[in-house]
Amino acid sequence: MKGLADKSRVQTPPEGDGQYLTFTSGGEMYAIAILGIKEIIEYGGLTVVPMMPDFVRGVINLRGAVVPVIDLAARFGQPNASLSRRSCVVIVEGHSEAEGRQDIGLLVDAVSAVLDIAASDVEPAPNFGARINAEFISGMARMDGKFVIVLNVDRVLSVDDMAVIGTACAPAHPEPA
Amino acid sequence: MDINLDSALQTYIVEARDLLHQMEEALLVLENDPNDSDTVDSLFRGAHTIKGSAGLFGLTPIVSFTHGVEDLLDRVRDATLNIDSALIALLLACTDHICELVDVVAERSASLDAQAVQRENALRERLMTYQVSTPTSPDTWVRQSVIDDSAVRAANLDWHISLRFGEQVYRNGMDPFSFLRYLNTLGEILHIVTTTTAMPALPEMDPESCYLGFDIRFRSAQTFETINEAFDFVRDDCAVHILSPRASLSEFAALLGQLPESRDHAERLLVESGSLLPGELDSVQSQLPTQPSPSTDLELPADPVQLRGDSAPQATAREQKSRESRYVRVHADKLEELINLVGELVIAGAGAKLLASYNPESELRDATAAVAELVEKTLDCALRMRMVPIGDTFSRFQRVVRDVSKELGKDIELEISGGETELDKTVVERIGDPLMHLIRNALDHGIEAPAVRQANGKQARGRLRLNAFHDAGNIVVEIIDDGRGLDRERILEKGRERNLVPAGATPSDSDIYNLIFEPGFSTAEAVTNLSGRGVGMDVVKRNITALRGSIDLDSRSGEGTTVRIRLPLTLAIIDGFLVGVGEAFYVIPLERVQECMELTSAANDAARRCGYIDLRGEVLPLLFMHDYFSIEEAGAGSRRQNVVVVHHLSKKIGLVVDELMGEYQTVIKPLGKLFGALHGFGGSSILGNGAIALILDIPALLTRLSEDSRACVSKSTTTSESLSVSQGQRS
Repeated sequence: MKGLADKSRVQTPPEGDGQYLTFTSGGEMYAIAILGIKEIIEYGGLTVVPMMPDFVRGVINLRGAVVPVIDLAARFGQPNASLSRRSCVVIVEGHSEAEGRQDIGLLVDAVSAVLDIAASDVEPAPNFGARINAEFISGMARMDGKFVIVLNVDRVLSVDDMAVIGTACAPAHPEPA
Repeated sequence: MDINLDSALQTYIVEARDLLHQMEEALLVLENDPNDSDTVDSLFRGAHTIKGSAGLFGLTPIVSFTHGVEDLLDRVRDATLNIDSALIALLLACTDHICELVDVVAERSASLDAQAVQRENALRERLMTYQVSTPTSPDTWVRQSVIDDSAVRAANLDWHISLRFGEQVYRNGMDPFSFLRYLNTLGEILHIVTTTTAMPALPEMDPESCYLGFDIRFRSAQTFETINEAFDFVRDDCAVHILSPRASLSEFAALLGQLPESRDHAERLLVESGSLLPGELDSVQSQLPTQPSPSTDLELPADPVQLRGDSAPQATAREQKSRESRYVRVHADKLEELINLVGELVIAGAGAKLLASYNPESELRDATAAVAELVEKTLDCALRMRMVPIGDTFSRFQRVVRDVSKELGKDIELEISGGETELDKTVVERIGDPLMHLIRNALDHGIEAPAVRQANGKQARGRLRLNAFHDAGNIVVEIIDDGRGLDRERILEKGRERNLVPAGATPSDSDIYNLIFEPGFSTAEAVTNLSGRGVGMDVVKRNITALRGSIDLDSRSGEGTTVRIRLPLTLAIIDGFLVGVGEAFYVIPLERVQECMELTSAANDAARRCGYIDLRGEVLPLLFMHDYFSIEEAGAGSRRQNVVVVHHLSKKIGLVVDELMGEYQTVIKPLGKLFGALHGFGGSSILGNGAIALILDIPALLTRLSEDSRACVSKSTTTSESLSVSQGQRS
């Protein structure tokens, strides 16, 4: 796990020049590379799946496919996102070793813009100090004199990792005494 | 072309495997009834087809090995070789080996491994021993015919075949020359004379009619039946006269009488073709006044009338052919895709119907109703395409039962019934392993050794029965043995020891027997006199549960055990009962629902306090879905609530929900790996209005509840604070 994290930091900035979608979640601005994004839809029609960790808000019906929705703020260990008129679900492609690709929805407070960011403007992620787990950060993009966290979507939405957390959150199955 | 050949090869592999499977079955039938000539025939045909088709693809190893098997079977068919258990064992080993050879082709690997080659050589040698022991038979055969008739000619292998094709032959799509070519594969055409006397004068001749006839001298070591079979396809349109090499002159005389040509001409034909020597012709002529001389050789009917008459078996053969051609082999993926699409169609159709119901126009409503009905029919049709009879899976166990019982020194008979019961192919594929386990268990531990059985006043031969039937939208598979049964007391004792049965409780028999499905319950030392009975039974149960099925067990000491597996017909569609809790919808599998009832507000308050209600004198524990799933109250307590009584095995529980929406057939959509750890939900389904309903997995939910409560009990004895934690962290 540690090795993996180190590797992802060494590789930064991985995408180089490219377009990024910026959005806010839990009051913080983030960016993700646009290539992994399939679409952005309005929040609504969510079905809650009980007994799942807080960051799994539920599932939505995306044109006949059942797509899980992840609360990004909760995934970063912050309180659940409060819903507003501007709440959006960003549909991205997640990966799982067993099942290949699976679409996943990211619940965010609001989407802002699509920006071109030059590779030279992306700094490597700090080892510590950020509000979120350093593993989730792919780099820090400089924008109008501010830094925006570029997310490592594969790590944030790793189905394998999230499923493990799901197991941990489900009430433990005690062995019969 | 390459691609075509490749797909043809795939077809060959599939067919060869089917044939081998059929041959195996036939051998097992022969073991019980060695005189069944139909089965011998089908066995021979199987080997013949495998060899023949392998030849088309140039699969030399299969051809050469199968050839030996075919030879052997041919002699079995001629009754020159008797069937005994050693021969059956050898032939079974041979089918296994051919299967291996086919596998080699299927895997495109270069050749067999050394072990298999060794095995092949050993088998070949054993086949040879049969070959050596019987060369005397053809001799006696000829000698017999010498005695039969003093007027016979020298023993030779030259047959005489007279063919007179009818006018319809070309119109029926037959080519006379193809038969001649085929004859050449059976032997050698020594001489052929073409007869054109049937040809009318040119103005009357119809170019689409056939006027040809042939007289053939044919050298072949084949039997009369084989040569006769060559003309099966044309028999209706062609007069076929076959005279065996040992035919007496009187038979030739009879033939002369039957040929349509004038006698002189016919005589000349026979001489020209070399079948009759000019000198012999005279003696034939001398016999003519007393003709027809009845053939004494019953084995080889030389009476042409009889030849034409045996059209009955040939008709069935043709019927079989046409039945086969009505099948289309479709790739499973394509079928899968179709079913998925139809599933989507069902959902979309339900949406359209819902919209139409808001519309005041009754015509639109009628139209959508008609569409919905068609969609439903399409769905039924699509699902039926995946249905296969379970009989094939069952009959595979014939071999298992035979081998295992031989190995154990027991005499066990497998009886199969309900093999025509159909269920989804995916279910059939996945039921094999659990069934195998249960059958092995029954053979090994259920049915006693013959001596023990006789001592107990039972028949020495044990009986194992596989039965399948439909029951209320499910298929039930039963495995019934007449062995010693389960030891109720030992299981109960063990259950008490492991705290699975509360002290002092007296569980029902079925509860006790079902304890053996508990993980790690029975080990050899746990239930000694049943050693191993139930090892891995929890795995069997898990496999069955994964198929949304259930397993149940019934046993009578000394009389036997019945294992009953209940399975859904298909995995793609679920018949559910739709309920609403707050804003959310849940689908309960219909087969789990026992009944529904209203929970009045007065009863609700009481029920909330104690957690159970009185169901006709029975204590029914309740699960308040709002609380358990932490769903916010939508209409807050004021709405009346309902109880859905669900059951699994002998456990029952009442689910407290807000709304009952009724029966609902729906396509199951898996939730994906992210929800893999989630116990209690079997998938999801999209409703007509686009909302998603989760499908409750009642057995998993019940297991989880009982584990939760057990955790509560065990923890509350240490500290009462931990209680709230163990009930679920989300609450």
